[in-house]
Formats: sequence, C-alpha cells, structure tokens
Amino acid sequence: MRSRSMLGRSVPGTSLIHRLDARVKFLGAVLLMGAALMVRDVRALGVLALWTVAVIIISRIRVILILRSIRPLLFVILFAVLVHVLTAEGRVLLQLGSFRITEEGLISGGLSALRLAFMVINTTIFLTLTTTPLDIADALESLLSPLRFLKFPVHEFAMMMSIALRFVPTLLDESTKIMKAQSSRGADYDTGGILHRIRGLVSILVPLFVSSFRRADDLAIAMEARCYQSGASRTKLHIAKLCARDIVFIILVIALFLMVLFGI
Amino acid sequence: MIQFKDVSFTYGAYEGQLPVPAVDHVSFHIRKGSHVALLGRNGSGKSTIARLMNGLLLPDEGEVFVSGMNTADAHDIVEIRRRCGMVFQNPDNQLIGATVGDDAAFGPCNLGLPVGEVKSRVEESLKRAGLYEMRDRAPSDLSGGQKQKLAIASILAMKPDCIILDEATSMLDPVARREVMALILELKNKHGISIVQITHHMEEAVLADYIYVISDGRVALHGTPADVFDQADRVRAEGLAVPTHIEIAHRIAKAAGAAYHPDEIFTFEGAVAFTRHALRFIEDDQGAMGRAAALSSAGEKSEDSCHVSLSGQGAGCLREEKTDCSAGPAAHCEPVIEVENLSYTYDTHTGEPVAALTDVSLTVGRGEILGIVGHTGSGKSTLIQHMNGIIPSKKNTVRVLGRDLSERRTVRDIRRHVGLLFQYPEDQLFEETVALDIAFAPKQLERNPEEVEKAVLRAARRLGVESVLQRSPFELSGGQRRRVAIAGVLAAEPDIIILDEPAAGLDPAGQDELFADLLTLTSEGATLLIVSHDMETMARLCHRMIVMKDGRVAGDGSPNEITASAEFLESVSLSMPPSKSFLNCFTDRYPALDTSCFTAADAAVKLLLAAGGAAKADEPPAAPPGEVSNGKDKTHARAEFPLNRRTRQP
Repeated sequence: MRSRSMLGRSVPGTSLIHRLDARVKFLGAVLLMGAALMVRDVRALGVLALWTVAVIIISRIRVILILRSIRPLLFVILFAVLVHVLTAEGRVLLQLGSFRITEEGLISGGLSALRLAFMVINTTIFLTLTTTPLDIADALESLLSPLRFLKFPVHEFAMMMSIALRFVPTLLDESTKIMKAQSSRGADYDTGGILHRIRGLVSILVPLFVSSFRRADDLAIAMEARCYQSGASRTKLHIAKLCARDIVFIILVIALFLMVLFGI
Repeated sequence: MIQFKDVSFTYGAYEGQLPVPAVDHVSFHIRKGSHVALLGRNGSGKSTIARLMNGLLLPDEGEVFVSGMNTADAHDIVEIRRRCGMVFQNPDNQLIGATVGDDAAFGPCNLGLPVGEVKSRVEESLKRAGLYEMRDRAPSDLSGGQKQKLAIASILAMKPDCIILDEATSMLDPVARREVMALILELKNKHGISIVQITHHMEEAVLADYIYVISDGRVALHGTPADVFDQADRVRAEGLAVPTHIEIAHRIAKAAGAAYHPDEIFTFEGAVAFTRHALRFIEDDQGAMGRAAALSSAGEKSEDSCHVSLSGQGAGCLREEKTDCSAGPAAHCEPVIEVENLSYTYDTHTGEPVAALTDVSLTVGRGEILGIVGHTGSGKSTLIQHMNGIIPSKKNTVRVLGRDLSERRTVRDIRRHVGLLFQYPEDQLFEETVALDIAFAPKQLERNPEEVEKAVLRAARRLGVESVLQRSPFELSGGQRRRVAIAGVLAAEPDIIILDEPAAGLDPAGQDELFADLLTLTSEGATLLIVSHDMETMARLCHRMIVMKDGRVAGDGSPNEITASAEFLESVSLSMPPSKSFLNCFTDRYPALDTSCFTAADAAVKLLLAAGGAAKADEPPAAPPGEVSNGKDKTHARAEFPLNRRTRQP
C-alpha cells in the first residue's frame, strides 16, 4: 500500500520548471520564501499571486497534487488567520462577547493566509514536486562546496541527505504498517488522555527506530558491497551547468524579491 | 574463482561480546561460470559465508581468495567487490540512488569511471534487466521484483564476474521470483557470470550446477542437485525439502523395488517417466503389488524424518472430518465473516484513484481453514484489513460475528475477536521482554493481571517460545521473533485468526513446524484465514480457497476445485501444486486416479492404489478385493497419525 503523503516525492515531468537547475531552484525558493514573509502591501501580493499561478501553469503539475501538499499546513494557516482576526484593532464588524472581529483583522488574516499559501506552494513546486531529492542533495553539495575549505565533509553530508530523502517514503509506509499492526493488537491511538497517547506512540516509535537501525545497517553493507568508500573520490555524474533559462529565472526571482523588499 | 581455505569466523570475537561461532573450518572452491546454491536452515551460517566471499567480513582463521586475490588484502578489496557483486534479501534496504538510473550509477561512480562510461554502462545494464524505461522513477515506486532486478542491474554496471544472491528472492512472490531467476540464468548462460545463490526455495536450488548444504557453519552435504536430493533423509534432516517429483519417484521406487539413477528422476519429466515404468512393473507382477501395499502402509511409520509432509497430512485428516465446512459458502456452518459487495478505492500519490477491491462477496464459516491466494496487488491484503476494521467499511458490506463493521464502536469490540497478523510481524515487537510484548494485546482488553499472565503463558507455550519469555525480543533469531509476534496476536485469544504470509522467509522445516502449531488452533474451534502465494502449502492446509485477481474474487472452492484447471491457475498467475501436476500426468493411464492430494506421500499412495486397481481390473481373480479397501483404510489411519505425534511434542 502506497502512502498518501506527498513528503519527499517528486512528480516526473519535462516542463520548464522541471528542467531548471536545482541550485537555482533552491536559491529561488529561499528568496521567494523571504519575499512571501515580508510582503506588506496588496499590490505586491497581487504580483506574487500572479507569479505563483504562472509557476503552477508552467510546471504542468495537477492542481490537486499542489492542494494536497498544502493540506498538512492547513491547520497552521487557519491558526494564523484566527490569531490575526481576533487580535487586530480597528473598525468592529461583529462583537461576540469579548471577541471582536474587525475589518483590519480580516484583511491581515487573509494576507497572512495568502502569504503562507504562496510560501508553501512555491517551495513545494520548486523543491519537492519538480526536483528529485537527489538533485537537491547535489545542489546542496554544490552550494556548500566552498565550506570544503573549512574541512566540512560536504560530499558525505550530501550523500547523507540524499539517502535520508530516499528513505522517507519507505519509512512512512513502514510507520503506517506498524500502526495498523498495533491497532490490530488492540492499541488505540485516537482516544484517551495525553499520557495514554504518548504511551501509544512508544508502540509505534520503538519498532520504527529498531527497523530504521536495521535498515541503516543493511544499507551500509550494501553500499560497501558496491565499492563505496568514505572519503574516496567518486565520479560526479550530475554535473549541472547553468544555462540561459536558469539565469533568466534567478534574475526574475531577484527582481521579485527586491520589489517586495522596497515596496517597488 | 572463489576459494575458501579452511575458513572460520566467529561473531563478536572483537567486540568483547559472547562469541558466536558462525563458520567452522570451511573449504571449497567455486569455479568460474558455475552456478552454486548454498542451502541450510535459518542461522546455519550461509549468509556469513556469502559475506566472507567479497570481504564484507574477514575470516578469523583461514583465507578466502577471489580470482587469486586474498580478501584480507586491503589493497584489492575494491577490485574483489567489483568482481563479486552481492544482492541482499530486503529489496528496500539495498537501493541507494534516489532514481533507478542513479542507483545503477552508484557502483560505477564509486569506481571513479569517466562520466560517459558510467552513463553507457547504466544504460546497458538497465536495458538488460528490462528497467531502462523506468530510469527516472524512484525506487519506492517499483515492485519488489523490479527492485531486486534493479539491484542486479546495479551490480551488472560494475561488470562483475560473479553475483552472490543472499536470499534475494525470499521476499518476492512466485511470479517475481521466476522473473528474477530467469534474469540470473540469462546472465549465467549468455555472459558467463558465476552465480552463488543462497535460497530456501528448492525449485531454485535444482537449477544450480552444484549444491552445498550448510549446517552449524560446516558443509554438511555437497554434490550435484541430483545427488544431493537423492539423499532425501539427510536433506530433510537439514531442515530442507526434497522436490515433490523426486520424493514421489523415491517412494514409488521403494514400493516397486525398482532401481534408478539419481539423474534419471531429477527432472520432472524424468520422474514421471520412471514412475510410469515402475507402476507398470507393479501392475504386471503380483509379488511386487503385495510389497507395494505393505510398503505404502508401513513405509510411513518407519520414516522418522518425514516432517515435510506432516502438516499436510494433518490437514488432510482435518479436512475429512469437516467435509460439511468445505462445501463452499453455502455450507451449513455458522458464518463468522460475511463480506457483501465490498469495493474499495484509494488514491496514489500522483492522484490517480486505484480500485483495490471491486464487488467482493464471501462468507467464512466457523472452524474453517480458509486460504486466500492471488498474485501481488490482487487485493488480498486490502481485503483482510477490512475484516478487523483497520480499513473502515461502508454500511452492510462487512459483517463479523453478525455485527456490521461500519460502526467505530463495533470495530473496537470486534478486534478482540479477530486477530490479524501482518507480513513480517516481527517488525512490530517493541517491549523490553518477550513476555511484556505478548502481554500487549491482552492488556488492552483490560483483563486482570493473572488472566493476562495465563494468556501469555498459553500463547507462548503454543508457539514454543516459553523459554525466552524474559529475554528481549531483539536478541532472538528471526524465526523466534516471528513466533513471538504470532504469540502476541494469539494471546488476546481471538476466535478468528487472519495470517498474512505467516511463514515467509522461514526455511522449509521451519515453515512446516509453524503451520503444524497453527493448525492445532482450529481443533479448539478457532477460524483460520491464511493469505499466501504458496499454492502447495495452501492446498494442503485449507478446507477452502478463495482466489483473488485484480481486486475481484476469481475463484472460491475446495483446493481440489481450485486446482482443477491449469488454465484457470495460469489466468490468475498461480501455479499448480507439484504433487497434483505430477498425478495429472497419470490420468490417461489410470482414469479413476484420485488427483486430490497435495503431498508427495499422498500422491505416491494414490498412484500405488491406482496401479493396484489396474492390475485387479486386468486380472480379476489375482488380487483379493478386500486388500485394496484395506489399504485405503490404512491410508486414513496413517493420515491421522503424524498430526497426533506432532502435537504431543513439546
């Protein structure tokens, strides 16, 4: 049974966005995240919205997949909206006991929801849906490579990242399976007090940790059997070269970022 | 190619733990281009030997040479590992790349080859394994068989001389297993790559050129497959099985007093031809017939080591006791599970809905042993997860013990009556001691401590793990952990027990012992549902079988009905149990032959009886009519005997 989570799963494709260099996408996602967090006025927000819609269309990724990727964060978004709506001062629209709903509250609540949504959609499209975990690991390795001069094991770090990402779906499936097995033995994860639930988690986490250690062991042996040697020089298979579209993309993102930063 | 010179290896020798000897003064030589099978029970030292072959482990004593290079020489280790690629058991734990192509490139990259060379090797090896079209997919999107083929392709990209398969097919279904074997044989035959294969599957072992049987870290038996399997008693004593056709031919030869050469009966066709010949001899010769009757009844009891067929015969006698239950869904047994028009779809991560079950209806009667068979992805697992409400069902689709499972409260209640054991259940153990882990389920039922303790003891005793109750489950062997996990489900004392591939990965003797223990449950009124790919075992054990195909019920009937047509079995990607396909070769000669048996011992008896019957028909006065029916009675008495003996064993 496949896990339904979107975490760490890319959707193969050949769109312009798929073909962008992962390093550029990584930097772009970071800048866009910054832009989304800093955006204040409605006009800039509109530009960001247009940008996001354009990205969705160009990436040719089905909207349902994008929506599904927001789902886990829906709670955070709703919470942010609620805090804004209930705490902002301003023209009162509705008074319920000590709670006031103000026009300003609604606007800033809506803004923060959009902001978070843009952030999540952009990062998911650039870093998860259109980029394989390995490309991200490669990009990180390349971006971090200056640290090599500080004796930072960049390559090992990148290998670690890529393996961690490779095992995310496996571990998700595994945790689902363990949860089902323990439920079959009468474990109940949905009811009872907080202590009962924490106790319940033990019955999932312990087997999950044990099997992860076993997997790590197995994997280390499998890597060794395939001639992997830590510290030895390996062929670099993915040598990414920046091309025109990458440069255009990063200029666009920087322009967007500056626009938001200085309010045009 | 690979040479062991008096090699010994002990685990824990350097870590200050209790030393566990694993390999004990082993010497052998594997020639280039040969196909060698290493057989033996779980924990006999096979995997350790495999890991000594490519320097993953280094011998404590003795030396291992690969193409003349000593594995202890750190200088040559990369070259040794390049030449001896290794495929491991668990498909999920040996793929390193985030895509199929990257995984195949991992080895060549480690060798520091130029990029162009890496790419062309990746392309070539993926094409050879039939995975080139999937080069950009994530390994987690592949099926188990495809993952193992990818692991093989990734080794091929390093241009190896030898591939070592450490139980590489044990987690696969029969179809995938055959595909992987076909790929391996092609590599051996077309490209001259040596194969060293560790396996519990005898149908794979017979494909080898040479067999080593490992026992307690030593070579206990070796020779060509024909010679090894000819020593049937020794093979069984090592916890292995003898291929069914060889065993039938052995029994017939013994009864007919006919001599044979091991090579002659090694192939299925050879065994059939020999049996045909021997049976004709029995028909013709009255003296031989008398001997055959005597042997067919007495031969059983004298054979101590015949545990391979024990559980099967046990089921055979159970089956006869409860014929009313095996008649199908319309049986007069009280229904305990009723599934009506159940459909289930789920979404994949790409957003495509997939129909896992479509309009499934079935009934399970109390006390039944029901087998659910079908290829991977046929919906078996999804179906059984509905039966204790792990997957919620719609109204009036699933009823257990007369109660509808669409209500949450019912589900909580029903789980104490339905024990569901998932595949590889040892992965769910988590407590500090075996006793605590087994107690998990009864504790959830809010029973008082004495009752819990009693339930734990009963379950532990039934699965033979009471001696390890105070140990940590994580320090036990795989087979014992499996038993502890099963005890953990049985401790809640459910009325209905559902087992998903309970014997997967165990050696043949371990499988038989486990099934014999599980069968004792039904004598206490429990209902047993077993999900498996193994047609022979299922046909032997079950009263009734349900065949799933593409989420639908494709067949529902007694094992004999299900296995009646070879075309049907092929259409649902299942194989004919070997004893039955053996007997099917004789229906032209003996039209009255009863082919409804699923063990070698039964098949031999049926053939002898048929030959006796034919002789009688040819020459009416020769054989007294009483003798045949007498012989038949003995068959039944014998069928009951082994089960009783098994259950009496502690």
